[in-house]
Order: sequence, then structure tokens, then C-alpha cells
Amino acid sequence: MIVKANAGTVTNFEVLDLLNSKGASKDTTRVMGLKDKVSSSEYKVYDYLMETAASTQTRESVTKFSDKCKDFKLVKAEILNIINLRPSSDVELTPIIEKPDEREIDTEGILELVQQLLPPLPTLESEQEETENAEQEETAV
Amino acid sequence: MFCLSELEDTVRVPPSDLNLPLEVAIKKALQKLFLDKVLSIGLCVSIYGIKSIEGGFVLPGDGAATYKVVFRIVVFRPFVGEVIAAKFKESDSNGLRLTLGFFEDVYVPAPLIPTPNRCEPDPYNRNQMRWVWKYGDDEFIIDDSCQIKFRVENISYPPVPTERAEDAKPFAPMVVTGTIDDDGLGPVSWWEACAPISDAED
Repeated sequence: MIVKANAGTVTNFEVLDLLNSKGASKDTTRVMGLKDKVSSSEYKVYDYLMETAASTQTRESVTKFSDKCKDFKLVKAEILNIINLRPSSDVELTPIIEKPDEREIDTEGILELVQQLLPPLPTLESEQEETENAEQEETAV
Repeated sequence: MFCLSELEDTVRVPPSDLNLPLEVAIKKALQKLFLDKVLSIGLCVSIYGIKSIEGGFVLPGDGAATYKVVFRIVVFRPFVGEVIAAKFKESDSNGLRLTLGFFEDVYVPAPLIPTPNRCEPDPYNRNQMRWVWKYGDDEFIIDDSCQIKFRVENISYPPVPTERAEDAKPFAPMVVTGTIDDDGLGPVSWWEACAPISDAED
């Protein structure tokens, strides 16, 4: 029975934090059948989140950012969306905000704040590492 | 993308789990019951926490203890207007299908693909059609080379069909319709040329 369908929204970071606290991790223990703690469907969510901005965020950076965002007349959902996606350019930010020109929203200010407070996306670094690792493995073989 | 929902349910803890601490045993039962299931509120992702446990009755003819549990659960329920990064799954003449890994029923119907566009047979995959967006003289192909951002247009929970056609796709209890017809949406590589305004990341 549903008591409250909406008891608050959570950011991607918070979901990842929850899964981490349950013991989800990138290592090999999940293959070894420690499934009781974290189910396979939770691992799918974990794998998705590890590729998003959430994986580099910390609790401080997220709370600080959402506090500072209050000056920008943004709706809660938009702040949430910015935290989840971490836009780094104007063209990434505009689809998130509805009619930024009419509402006179300072998009450049928001982008600066994102740049300052939210750590950059994880993809580039990890891909580099992966290719490096792959190269190492190749040479090892 | 995710939100919390508060639910109440009567949970049966099997005798084999009674050696565990009560909260652990109940969490285990709840995980089995709810995870990866679609309720009318969205896709249940993870048990957030237990609020209260009552009872512990043993019903006649049953060897298990039954508890009334109030708990909170993390639900995947994107809001309309939210922008989400997804991956390409497949495409045909009706449009695109995207995946989030844990949720694979995101559809971008043909009218929500930027125009002018065309749909042509995929040279790399015989069973597939691919979509190409024409912008001026440039052509942009939609394929699985990178992430695709979409904006949520609608979320629907189709009723369970009573009859099933033989060639029908597996039933999807929750379907997200998305659009990629706006600046900044679609494959991320389309917009990489539009350089960030102040890319002085340290």
C-alpha cells in the first residue's frame, strides 16, 4: 500500500551514496556471490550512476551548490537536474532550464558556479585509464 | 530522476530467516518483494530505510511471522521536463529506443527527432534503420557511439494486456517517452563543437 507516493526527491549522488553504504563497489566481490547485500538490479543502477557526475561528487559540494543556487530563481527540479548532469557549457544548460530568457536567468552565473563547486565528469579520466590499462595488458601478454 | 516513496506492507518473514536480526530479515523480504518491480509510482530501485515495524503475528496454518512494515523506497520516476543522459539501444522506422542500463523502455518517437531528418537502412546492421539529422549541409547520424541526452515528455504505465500477439515485444509496465528535438539534446557529440564558455577546469 502506498502511504506517500512522493516523500521527496533525491539526487543521483544520494542514490549512489546509499548503494555505496550498502556495500556496492566496482571490485570483484559481486561476482563471488555476495548477492545478499546488494541485488543485481541495484548493481545496474550503480553501474549507470558510476558513469554520471554523481560518482565524483561529495556531500559538501552538492549541498553547497544547492544552497548557492537559491540566488538564481531556479525551480527545485532544475537545480536537481543541474546537479545530476553537471552541464559545462551553455548548450548543455539550456535544455534543462525552461525559457531562461523570459525568466531572466543568469545562465553564465550558473555555469560559473557549476565550474567552481561541482567536480568535472568522470568519463574522460576513466576512459584514459582504461586504455592505459589495456595497453599495459597488451604489452604484458 | 529518483525519488523516495513511503509504502506500507504486510511482510512475511520465513522461519529460515528468524535467526537474523529482525530489521535485516525484513529488509531481505522487502528486497525480494519490491526491487526491480514497477509499481504505479515508478520503478523500485532500492530500499531506503524502515520506518516502523509492528506485529509479528503467526497466522493459523502458517509457520512464519507476519509484520506490518512502513518503509521508504528509492523509486526511479523521472519528472516531465527532466533531461537525462542515456545510451542508444536500437532504432527502427518508428523512432529510437534508449537505455539507462537498469531501465530500457525509453522511446523517442519519429516526430520528436530533430527535423529535417531521414531514416535509412543501417549499413552496419541489416536489421536496423538509422536516423540522420540534416542541419544545413551537415548530416548527423544517431548511433551508439556516445551518450544521448533526452528530455522526458511523458511517462505511462500501460495496462497489462490480457491477450498477447505472438510476435509482440515483451510487455513493458512503464514507458518513458522522450524528445531529442531541442538545442543540447541528442547525441552528446553533436554539441561538443559548441565549446564551453570558460573551460578553465583545473
